[in-house]
Amino acid sequence: MLFFVQQFVNGLSRGAVYALIAVGFALIFSVLKFSNFAHGGLISVAAYAGYYFSSKFNFPPVLAVACTALVGGVMGVVLDLIAFRNLRKRNSSNIYYFVSSITCGILFMNILTLMFGTTFYTIKPFFKSPIIHIGDLIMLKMDVAILLISVGLLAALMLLINKTKMGLALRIVSIDRDTAALMGINSNVIITVTFMIAGGLAGISGILLGSNFTIDPFLGNMVVKGFIASVIGGLGSLPGAIMGALLLGVMEVVFTVLVGDILSPAIIFVITLLFLLLRPQGISGQFIAEKA
Amino acid sequence: MNDYVASLIQTTCITMIGVISIFPLTGMTGLFSFGQAAYMAVGAYVSGIAAVKFGLPFWLCLVLGVCVSGVMAVIIGLPTLKLRKDYFALMSLCLGEAVTAVLNKFGAITGGAAGLSNIPKRATMLMIVLSTIAVIAMVGLFKSSRFGRMSLAIKTDELAAKSFGINVFAHKMKVYIFTSMIAGFAGVLYAFYLTYLDPNLFGWTRSSEWVIFLFFGGVNSLTGSVISTIFLTTLPEVLRFASSARIVMYTVMILLVINFMPSGLLGEKEFSIPKIIKFFKNHFHKKSRIGGEG
Repeated sequence: MLFFVQQFVNGLSRGAVYALIAVGFALIFSVLKFSNFAHGGLISVAAYAGYYFSSKFNFPPVLAVACTALVGGVMGVVLDLIAFRNLRKRNSSNIYYFVSSITCGILFMNILTLMFGTTFYTIKPFFKSPIIHIGDLIMLKMDVAILLISVGLLAALMLLINKTKMGLALRIVSIDRDTAALMGINSNVIITVTFMIAGGLAGISGILLGSNFTIDPFLGNMVVKGFIASVIGGLGSLPGAIMGALLLGVMEVVFTVLVGDILSPAIIFVITLLFLLLRPQGISGQFIAEKA
Repeated sequence: MNDYVASLIQTTCITMIGVISIFPLTGMTGLFSFGQAAYMAVGAYVSGIAAVKFGLPFWLCLVLGVCVSGVMAVIIGLPTLKLRKDYFALMSLCLGEAVTAVLNKFGAITGGAAGLSNIPKRATMLMIVLSTIAVIAMVGLFKSSRFGRMSLAIKTDELAAKSFGINVFAHKMKVYIFTSMIAGFAGVLYAFYLTYLDPNLFGWTRSSEWVIFLFFGGVNSLTGSVISTIFLTTLPEVLRFASSARIVMYTVMILLVINFMPSGLLGEKEFSIPKIIKFFKNHFHKKSRIGGEG
């Protein structure tokens, strides 16, 4: 019994990592209605930035995370400038955003490969003793921290979106950009701010992922998990993304135990397929209809 | 012609078949497939295993590889093609991951991560080039047929297409099977050209590379895909001197095209012989008339 509870807890901690990615991903989707795969590129960039802040400059953890978030935010704005601004001006169809974001992700990762090579880097651990015991369960402090941080960030984000004037503008832009502009909202500024927030989230996920795993330029390919999680949760819904991520993490760990590391992607594929067949709107039940 | 040029031509041709295999799907029906390389893997592995483990003749392996890809398209298409378009994109992405996982897992049959080797080399230069031309012609005919125009209708407006009596799901299914069989065919050629297979050859980077090629040339133009494949596969070879920076240059170029020429290099234009004759006729006609007046 304890074994299964322990596996469940392990799954939750893996899910927490995915949740961080999925929230940034879902934020862009909810405003701009496209899947931003360049998020992975931002995560990779942020992981290297995090390596410099915490291991080279020896910043304390909190400061290092904050600085990385800042770098991520700036990179998010840069990403918007080089990849999406022109497409928005031309009112291009969604598929172009999609291709542009993938290309940009590949670009970022390859620039990193050019600069740092494919050798692995490690961020020095944030905690002196990495393990805490809860009863008979063993947890990594890092995992707990990641879980807490993602829940905290989500709460802050929900407050921002639902309670502030800025959030109201963001919601209006997400419904209809042109009408928002007619109502005197500068939608370009709102979208830039959205990219900044998503970039900041990518920054935080980057440094936390980097300290949880090793850093290489292709760390950002984890974004695929974030994508799956946000689809399970209902595309564009932030709480759904977190739930989907936790579910995905638990499923992955459980199937890795049951059928082994190699076959579990195939099982996850089948389960996601069945899930979408039964409940195409995702857990949260928000359904964004395709424009007819 | 030395070996290097020959191998370059053959790999370009095989990649071209792959890129063209997503043209009817992404370019014409508007479905974003991100795991088309999975069908290439299926075609390659099925035919390769049939040749290595069962010693079947080449033509039988070819038929088997292409048919199994088609059958798999039916199985995958049944649940996924009813979903929203972005879910279809996601599921095709996962499909690619799942296929590589399965290939790695069942090492006893597929050779696992160590790869499947000793496939007889049956794909000759002539055969690869001829089959590429045949595939291009086939997809070209597909585009100009009634069936192809139905696809375009679904891409532009699914609801309107439905109201005109097109069975959207059945049509998508047919296109999906058709394109998957082409990708499977590319896989068979690849297996018998390379004589060695490894699951990592068919990851999602290959699938996304195909999509990028398609967009670079112009989603609506078959000629565009052909030209962009030739250009983008030979360019890295020309840029060998800057080998490590070449993917960077390549992505920058694609970003520029997507940002500033959103319909790709060629847009909607197609290559056709009558048009060219007409162009020259008009041109010379004008010239001779000017000459006559002078």
